[in-house]
Amino acid sequence: MKIKEVREVGSLRSLGKLKDVSFCILKYGVPKHRHITPHNFFNFFNFFLLLILLIPTMLHAEQTALEPVPKRSPTARTLLFGVGRTNQFDSYLSPMEYTGLQVSFLTRSERMTRMTNRHISFQSSFYGAYTSTDNPAGTADYKGGRLAYDAGWHYHYSPVTNLDLKGGTLVGADLGFLYNSRNGNNPAQGRFSIDLSLSAGADYSFSLWHIPMRASYQADLPMIGLMFSPEFGESYYEISQQGVGHDIVCAHLGNACSLCQLLTLDFCLRRITLRIGYLCDIRQSNTQSLKYHDISHSFMFGFVRHFQLMKIR
Amino acid sequence: MRKLSIFLIVFISTFLISCQQSEYSYDETPQGNLDALWTLIDQRYCFLTYKEQQLGIKWADLHAKYSAKLNPKMSRVQLFEVLCQMLSELRDGHVNISTSLDLGRNWSWKEDYPENLDIELRKQYLGTDYHIGSGLKYTILPDNIAYVVYESFSNDIGDGNLSDMLSYLRLCNGMILDIRGNGGGELSNAERLSRRFTNEKVLVGYVCHKTGTGHDDFSEPQAEYITPSNGIRWQKPVVLLVNRSCYSAANTFVRNMNEMPLVTIIGDQTGGGSGLPFSSELPIGWSVRFSASPYYDARMKQIEFGIEPDIYVTLDDVLAVEGRDSMIEEARRLITEKKEQ
Repeated sequence: MKIKEVREVGSLRSLGKLKDVSFCILKYGVPKHRHITPHNFFNFFNFFLLLILLIPTMLHAEQTALEPVPKRSPTARTLLFGVGRTNQFDSYLSPMEYTGLQVSFLTRSERMTRMTNRHISFQSSFYGAYTSTDNPAGTADYKGGRLAYDAGWHYHYSPVTNLDLKGGTLVGADLGFLYNSRNGNNPAQGRFSIDLSLSAGADYSFSLWHIPMRASYQADLPMIGLMFSPEFGESYYEISQQGVGHDIVCAHLGNACSLCQLLTLDFCLRRITLRIGYLCDIRQSNTQSLKYHDISHSFMFGFVRHFQLMKIR
Repeated sequence: MRKLSIFLIVFISTFLISCQQSEYSYDETPQGNLDALWTLIDQRYCFLTYKEQQLGIKWADLHAKYSAKLNPKMSRVQLFEVLCQMLSELRDGHVNISTSLDLGRNWSWKEDYPENLDIELRKQYLGTDYHIGSGLKYTILPDNIAYVVYESFSNDIGDGNLSDMLSYLRLCNGMILDIRGNGGGELSNAERLSRRFTNEKVLVGYVCHKTGTGHDDFSEPQAEYITPSNGIRWQKPVVLLVNRSCYSAANTFVRNMNEMPLVTIIGDQTGGGSGLPFSSELPIGWSVRFSASPYYDARMKQIEFGIEPDIYVTLDDVLAVEGRDSMIEEARRLITEKKEQ
């Protein structure tokens, strides 16, 4: 009988070279014949806690993680929480810029595939944010929410030791809203888009004070896609009567120039790999004579786990 | 490595500089706020060309006219008054400035005309044992005519309310639907009520919206139809009582009922207000409302300044002293006359 065993990759030194990592620091899968001791019960508890925290990631990204694929590269999963400032402007709702607080989360999963001799990695991300912003006079506010998912592939290249460059494409979908409690017939703006992005990044592994660390940077630039945008003075009453067919427009660099950048630093604290970072997310569009931007700067913090699925014969 | 770093820095900097949209920022001086308000109306208000034709307003001229009334040291109250004066030129009840001080408005569409409504007289006709079906009040008058009052389209009505009401009134000879003083509310309520008075799909008008900042940048007009309700529908004569206070959604309801075969509209011209209002704001933080999407009647005529009734009737003060509402009495006479035919 085959039993799947999930193992964590614990060596931070190997983060830069996922294909060469050494395994077996902790075992989370418990074979049937074993007794549950306080030690492995604690690991078990940790595992389920982690499962709950990573449900969004596991739902959207790593369906295949449950499949028994032999000789599979380890998967790096990140869960980050963020807090920061955001600047929002939507000419459908107001001619003014609103500024305020943003809280967010980001889950990301990345693993090397077997394509091109393990030079290509697969990445998927799930991002959510809630914003609360005020107008400059402090007399009105926006409440906003956003969920975004993207997935794609990167080609990796190491020009020098410890440096890993990558470039690739991502396909993403974005869903959100912005609500102004003071407006009458135009109280909210809905957002929906799908796009194809170029993505590039770099990872650099180094040691500082004898602590192994890794700095990473990734930038995603949406190139082309489709997005929902009402016409200049179109009310949601009309949209509900006539449908949204004419409100789906082509988004490209010329009318929806956006960029998402994530700069992170990984370091190890005991057995946990912690990650801190800075997320700069710039969303912009100028369609149907309506202008929009949402520019956020967030401090991100969280942790990284490295897993591998193996078969026990 | 160094070249790569320089490339990345240049790339990101270029992106941030080139793609950042210009801010729509004004200072909080009186002139800055007047500029913002003037620009907002110039770009987004939907009746500028029509108002120029009807009222002789040249919006471009108003900027200089009202800028001359500003001074940098004026108080917020004074600024509010100047801005309201500028908006009053449009004579549009959907154009307002809302502040913690006051609501800036032009209600000349009703204040310049006789009200043609006596609430106390209406109460006498309703009596004390009238029914209340959500936003509707109704009773049966002694000559077996249904009398229904709908005071505001902001008061929701459901299909259940309407079916129960029409079922209760089904044996009446006709219906007087009194919407005098109804200043509007939800268009969905107006549509829901209209659907009870037709047995077939009826073209009632058109709607369009602005597609750009030009005064005449409009979308293609979209036809609006009223489809018959699946519930109980009224098959007898209806007299719709209106006055100058029928505005906005009530005006749209009158437009709809004007296309129904069994309906006679009597009273005064309605107040109008055919532009669906949008909201925006000024740099100082005051909320601004303005007409954004114009509604037309079934012949593509503007109804911004109201709809004429089929029969003009005013409230007779002499009859009012006797406790009789001349408009309701005329409606009763019409229904009785139609029944005898």
